[in-house]
Amino acid sequence: MARAATLASVLLLALALLTPADVLAQTKDDTLVYALQSDVQNWDPPNSVLRESIILGYNVFDHLAARDLKTGKVGPSLAVSWKNIDDTTWEVKLRKDVKFHDGTPFGAKDVKATFDRVLNPENKLTARGNHAKIKSIEVVDDLTARFKTDGPYPLFVERLTAQVMQSEKVIREKGHEWMQENPVGTGPYKLVKWSKKQEHLLVRNDDYWGPKPAFKYVRIRIIPEQATQIAELISGGVDIIKAVPPDQMDVINKSGLARTATSPILRTAFIQLDQAGRSGPNPFQDRRVRQAANLAVDVDSIIKHVLNGLGDRVATTVNPMAFGFDPGLKPYKQDIAQAKKLLAEAGFPNGLEVGFLRTQPTVEPGLIQTSDAIVADLAKAGIRTKARMVGEVGPFTNLVRDGKADPMFEWSWGYYSIFDTDAILFDVMTCNQPYSVYCNKVLDDMVIQGRSTLDPKRRTEIYAKAQKLIYDDAAYLFKWGLRGVWGISSRIDYEAPRDEVDRMWAVTPRKK
Amino acid sequence: MATTAPTKVELAGLGEARVEMPGGGQATLRRLLRLRWGLGAAGILLLIVAAAALAPWIAPHDPLAVNIRHRLAPPAWMDGGSAENVLGTDQVGRDLLSRMIYGGRVSLVAGVVAVLMSATIGVLLGLGAGYFSGRIDWTIMTLVNVMLTFPFVLLALAVIAVLGPSLVNMIIVLGVAGWPIYARTVRAETLAIREREFVLAGRALGMSHLRIVFRQIVPNLVSVIVVIATLQVAQVIVLESFLSFLGLGIQPPTPAWGNMLGEGRVYMLNSWWIATFPGLAIFLTTLVINLMGNALRDWLDPHLKL
Amino acid sequence: MRRYITRQLLQLVVVVFGISVLAFAILHVLGDPVLLLLPQNAGKEEFERYRHLLGLDRPLYVQYWKFVSRAVLGDFGKSWYADTPAFALVIERMPPTIYLTFAGLVVALLISLPLGILAALKRHSWLDTLCTAVAVAGQAAPLFWLGIMMIIVFSVRLRLLPASGYGTWQNFLMPAFCLGAALAPITMRLVRSGVIEVLNMEFIKTARAKGLAEPTVVIKHAFRNVCIPVVTVLGLQFGQLLGGAIITETVFAWPGVATLTVEAIRNQDFPVVQCAVILLALLIVAVNLVVDVIVGLIDPRIHAA
Repeated sequence: MARAATLASVLLLALALLTPADVLAQTKDDTLVYALQSDVQNWDPPNSVLRESIILGYNVFDHLAARDLKTGKVGPSLAVSWKNIDDTTWEVKLRKDVKFHDGTPFGAKDVKATFDRVLNPENKLTARGNHAKIKSIEVVDDLTARFKTDGPYPLFVERLTAQVMQSEKVIREKGHEWMQENPVGTGPYKLVKWSKKQEHLLVRNDDYWGPKPAFKYVRIRIIPEQATQIAELISGGVDIIKAVPPDQMDVINKSGLARTATSPILRTAFIQLDQAGRSGPNPFQDRRVRQAANLAVDVDSIIKHVLNGLGDRVATTVNPMAFGFDPGLKPYKQDIAQAKKLLAEAGFPNGLEVGFLRTQPTVEPGLIQTSDAIVADLAKAGIRTKARMVGEVGPFTNLVRDGKADPMFEWSWGYYSIFDTDAILFDVMTCNQPYSVYCNKVLDDMVIQGRSTLDPKRRTEIYAKAQKLIYDDAAYLFKWGLRGVWGISSRIDYEAPRDEVDRMWAVTPRKK
Repeated sequence: MATTAPTKVELAGLGEARVEMPGGGQATLRRLLRLRWGLGAAGILLLIVAAAALAPWIAPHDPLAVNIRHRLAPPAWMDGGSAENVLGTDQVGRDLLSRMIYGGRVSLVAGVVAVLMSATIGVLLGLGAGYFSGRIDWTIMTLVNVMLTFPFVLLALAVIAVLGPSLVNMIIVLGVAGWPIYARTVRAETLAIREREFVLAGRALGMSHLRIVFRQIVPNLVSVIVVIATLQVAQVIVLESFLSFLGLGIQPPTPAWGNMLGEGRVYMLNSWWIATFPGLAIFLTTLVINLMGNALRDWLDPHLKL
Repeated sequence: MRRYITRQLLQLVVVVFGISVLAFAILHVLGDPVLLLLPQNAGKEEFERYRHLLGLDRPLYVQYWKFVSRAVLGDFGKSWYADTPAFALVIERMPPTIYLTFAGLVVALLISLPLGILAALKRHSWLDTLCTAVAVAGQAAPLFWLGIMMIIVFSVRLRLLPASGYGTWQNFLMPAFCLGAALAPITMRLVRSGVIEVLNMEFIKTARAKGLAEPTVVIKHAFRNVCIPVVTVLGLQFGQLLGGAIITETVFAWPGVATLTVEAIRNQDFPVVQCAVILLALLIVAVNLVVDVIVGLIDPRIHAA
């Protein structure tokens, strides 16, 4: 008996020792909880294509320029002013007295180091495509940097909102590997702890040069299941969730503890069809098959019935909010007979079977349900899909990047939050870009021309031509411009951002 | 297991060799009571099996027919429900009842085929280990120990990771992973039967090993195997539904109770029927199979410890 | 006692060897890493080059030896996606799984011990029948279904407990209960039959005959003898418990090894899957060993030998 008692106490002791302890003394009132479905792969935003990385980057780093969500205009941030010295030179004046989280002052040398790192092709950073037009950066004095561009570059200022400023000292002394997990920015929050695929804890940067965030702590929780996210939101465990399926909005709104907010966002959804043959020979290399796919799907019904209207039908991949969008182009209409005829002409009188790579809806509300409906419509025309599901968005994008996706795969593009047609055409529709499976030299020429033309009117014309080409060639299976759906706790005030960047520093407690 | 059925004499002999449990009369009453439960359970199970087998004839709709204009329709007895879709429709407007019926088909087939596989492997290995003992026994039992160390779920996950999720792969996984329990039980029983008079007599008469094993030993094991297999079917169905729930089993749009539950999970709070009915189906099926298994045990072999 | 432990250790070595072979076989023989690593339209030459690079053109036993000698040092390769050693990823996730498993075990015992003993003492009463019925029903209820239901009731409707996550004691309640409830039925049945067996033993009858009070008989004499089969069974059940933890974790978004493994499978991140499978199996082996030693300590028969 005594031995049994000893045994029991040993077990109890072991249990007591194993109980985890809470590290930081946060209270519910000073902590904001934000949920993501999928974790970032690193804390080095230029080295990632994920929306999650962009969002986290905005909260810890600053950019040279930033968009004012109310006016939609790009205004100063770390840069206070910029001017065109000549067609290919921009001069940027920087803000005084800004410090990185490690205490080093921010200056022109950091701007140069950041861009040099991104532009060096050997570093293979995703952000390079964004800034490929920049040739070199010159430090004029501590607070002045000069950019040389490869020909005229109308998007220069717009693109400054998509590049976080990293520290020259860190790049030089700590290096790439270290930077993957240790962000040193100038932003409103600092990273305290990152438990991979679980949680990020941010703490307010009290030396921040801009307005101070209301919440001292931000917990960013990784919750893969949408059902769990919603349960957490309406039971008070989480304050902000995104990509809520439209048919779950009533659950949130009726809960009394939270509400939903929607906004058109700068993101277009489509299904990429492997015209370039990056996954190997496939039926979509034939234009008629791509057209058949576009004709098979009743996109309008899907928007109406599955998304409850929360989507804006588009004729191509270009978003209505982007500069250069052509509203005159009419989208494909469902025509099963015509689709079947095209398939037969392409040599598939009995239809065909093709692989379809799918993923979880991290940025696209209702992705699973809408894709199910699309699959059913495609089958009606004879395009039978064989689905492959990759749960996490990081590995999913890697498959695409490495040419290991199926001939069809789900995709949506958030333009790096740059409101310009170039920000989608270059990245997902030109030859040999990591996330593009479309290759057409004619379009490539138009894109180059568009990004090198200063006159807005002329650019609009170029992009109108490009959209016509994309539409006629049925480059991808076109879906819609997205409306973001957020679930927001009643204890906070927060407005849905149309550039899809959740700014934790803008969240305030709701007055009681 | 398609060998000769046990003769009455052999079964009776098997019973005699065991020790009677205390509490005679009342226990008999309980056994009868449980038998009745078992019969009831068997009846329900028969209905489920019949529904699954006759799916193409009794399902009111095509389980894959999407109709987004009529999605998330509630069951017939609720406001907004219609007799057209008795259990309502799912997130893309497919008829839930039809999907339930077809889903049962998949679950039952997966369960039965996997159990047949693991029973065959397990019984053969168990017989080998028990009958020949020595090195063969040691090798097989070590293998059993290794397999038992691996949780079933873990092994299934590992194999699915490599082979990729599909119905066939899942059946293979469940079939290959489930054999140790048969092997262990069959070995223990074989060890006991091997020393019994009729086996010894057979050996003295110069019967071949194969003949002794399949003619004399196996018939005595049938009841044990049937009981384990029945209970295992329930386990396998639960595991299958879990794998499908995770998206690692049967792939949508093919309906299976597990993946229906998984897909419907996000709708639990408004369109609860999408996930609730498949959940109930899994529960009910497992329950009746377990009840039937217990009754079978009581009837065939009340002293079996499982 | 020493011989007993030696024998257990010997068996351990064999089992660990078996696990390593199994893990190796699953991931190296069944799957072809090259196919997964290379783009689908890669040429045959590139294919062969990669095979050579990864050492896949060498004999299997050489590959196995390389795999084992690295694994012993904790080197399972880098995760294909997270750019971190697989071992570090898995180890980081191990504690939550272990806590959950133990918490589940405690819950299972809290439910099954009293009920099992009561059922045995009041055999054939309505209580016994009720326990049996609950046990049968409990065994049939899919664990993940139970978890989802609990989230709806306790988090969404009553708002008493957090729906997911990890860190505070509130986070433990639902997952631990869910897991414990899954293990409780079978444990209860074993406790019941164990107690019945013990109560029929001679020394208990003697104790009763001596006129000792019933509680004294049960607690002082019966309990210890019931412990032996229960502890043994719990050891055997540990694998199942861990399997249950895998299911529970995914439902409650518990940041343990199981959620990591499931994610890794969905992402085809083999180094992580392999590492997780092996470490979990080793954990089970270790627990079984501990159980064997405990049984050795409390079972006088083995103690004497």
